[in-house]
Amino acid sequence: MHNFKYKHFIKIILFNILIMSIYCTKEIHVQYQVNAANIYESKAQKFKNKNEAEYISILYTSLYQKAIDPMELFQAQSVLYSIGDQNVAKEMLLSGYFNNPKIIIPSNADMRKDIPAFITETYKRFYLRYPSEAEKVYFTNYIKNNPEVTVELIYTAFSTSDEYSFY
Amino acid sequence: MRRKEFIKRSTLTVGAGIVAPYILPSGRLFAKSGIEKAEHVVMVMFAGGVRQQESILGRYLEDSQGVSGVAGNIMPNLFNGNAPTKKIVYGQDIPGQTRGSDPIPRLLTDALANKGMTFNEVRAQSAGHYVGLNTLLTGSVSTAQGLKTRPLSPTIFEYLRKHRGFKATDCWFVGNGIGNSTPLLNASTNESYGLNFGANMFIPPIAFGSYGQNTLSNSKAYSNNELKPMYEMKNFLNNSFALENSRQTTIKNTDDERTHIKEFMRATYTKQSLGQIAMPPAASSNDAFNVAYSAEILKEFKPKMLAVNISEVDGCHSNFTGYLRSLHRADHITGWLYDYIQNNIPEMKDNTVFIVAPECGRNLNPNPILDENDWMAFDHSDANSLRVWSLMVGKNVPKISVGSEGNPIGRLTDLVPTIADIFGVYDDVMNSGFIDPMAMSQFLRV
Repeated sequence: MHNFKYKHFIKIILFNILIMSIYCTKEIHVQYQVNAANIYESKAQKFKNKNEAEYISILYTSLYQKAIDPMELFQAQSVLYSIGDQNVAKEMLLSGYFNNPKIIIPSNADMRKDIPAFITETYKRFYLRYPSEAEKVYFTNYIKNNPEVTVELIYTAFSTSDEYSFY
Repeated sequence: MRRKEFIKRSTLTVGAGIVAPYILPSGRLFAKSGIEKAEHVVMVMFAGGVRQQESILGRYLEDSQGVSGVAGNIMPNLFNGNAPTKKIVYGQDIPGQTRGSDPIPRLLTDALANKGMTFNEVRAQSAGHYVGLNTLLTGSVSTAQGLKTRPLSPTIFEYLRKHRGFKATDCWFVGNGIGNSTPLLNASTNESYGLNFGANMFIPPIAFGSYGQNTLSNSKAYSNNELKPMYEMKNFLNNSFALENSRQTTIKNTDDERTHIKEFMRATYTKQSLGQIAMPPAASSNDAFNVAYSAEILKEFKPKMLAVNISEVDGCHSNFTGYLRSLHRADHITGWLYDYIQNNIPEMKDNTVFIVAPECGRNLNPNPILDENDWMAFDHSDANSLRVWSLMVGKNVPKISVGSEGNPIGRLTDLVPTIADIFGVYDDVMNSGFIDPMAMSQFLRV
């Protein structure tokens, strides 16, 4: 009887150790972060052409601040393939995006409140680089001298330009 | 200045202004090296591998399925000859009757073969679709041409834009799908020509199909004036980026041309939603869709050169009955397109040369695949696949029929020189160094 109790006691201890070794592990705190991305120092560093899927998904995310639905991406990609002049296709695509009220872009009033800041932000947003002094001066003067210029037109010019097609 | 001298100088100035040389993109002064035969060319790339036997020879089931007494012409808009009288399966369906028992009525009062130049037996340079399409558009034998790449030799569009000075919206390629290399056929990778001289292109089943509707029909309508600042800013950005020619990724239209194309697309989506797109009456296939939108492009832009590709005949790999139906419909929609130009586009009526030619033929012997009628299917890889025909009708095209099975005349690579001849730039194109050395204008072959 005594022998049985002792054996039984040892078994229970071993079983508990086994359970504890399986279920009691040290908690690991995982923290995900975004890697720091370098801003281009010069447009000359861009030599790879974005394919249609890259172009559309980057553009969509930039304008709506969320990822594009895969089916919508597939359809838009196919449509870009089906039109000879990519500028025509992209300008049409863009004007469709601007017609969607869910788009997240600055207002024209915001743009005109601080034009230099808007230009810098636009260059960073689309070209991932800072504007040169000449570029800043051109756009500052152009926006100031042309009251009909809107954020929509500026964004269309940037996102259908040659530089935006490269990375 | 004395009065006499003033008049003399003004007359000279005005005269010089009128005859002032027009510098072409090729760097040449003046455009023409020959006399222009017509102002427009429309070419139907017909239709995905067509056997001589069922098309121009009018043999129906005689030379394919071992059935006798069933010869007949199932392409009444293109060729002469009575329709078959037995085993009719290529027509429209009538409830309660054998499938396809009602042939589509002929649209044209006279077959195209009676109106112009028929080359009855032409040598194709390839038994494959893509090289065949390349041949039709480049005039080159394209032996080194890879798939999913742009043509290596310049296309007819590039020749015409460079040597004849046509603008981008003067040249159109209408493809039938975005698979394989089709959407790359509007321009070559040739360094002396390339995208800068390429044609505009639509793949209507996508651009104007449900994908196009979902993606682009919501686009805003801007006027030319509204877009002007956008184009100015964009031109500044592009000049600043200074993309070299070798890195160009698209053909280029002028700002006005781009606006025109966008207006056309928006108007077409609207017409589509109102059911106002003119369609061939008895066909609703992808090919019919393609031809209908070609007609819309022709009506809007009156292009100098438009090539449209249709391909549903290729179903012959596994379905001979389907092939016969597609062939009959391809004839119908081609006849419809010709008729549409004559009756709906006065600027092109009697001023257009209309060309029809298959890109390749099909095998003499069948593969073992049987269809619903137990008829055998045909692939394309043997010598019979290199047998094709071509038709050309329109302004300044003589009425003549040449060649036969025992006497083949001409090559598919002849079509690019022929089109160059029509537009008066034959020498420029032939001397480019990229044309099949055995090719020549069909006008010179007869």
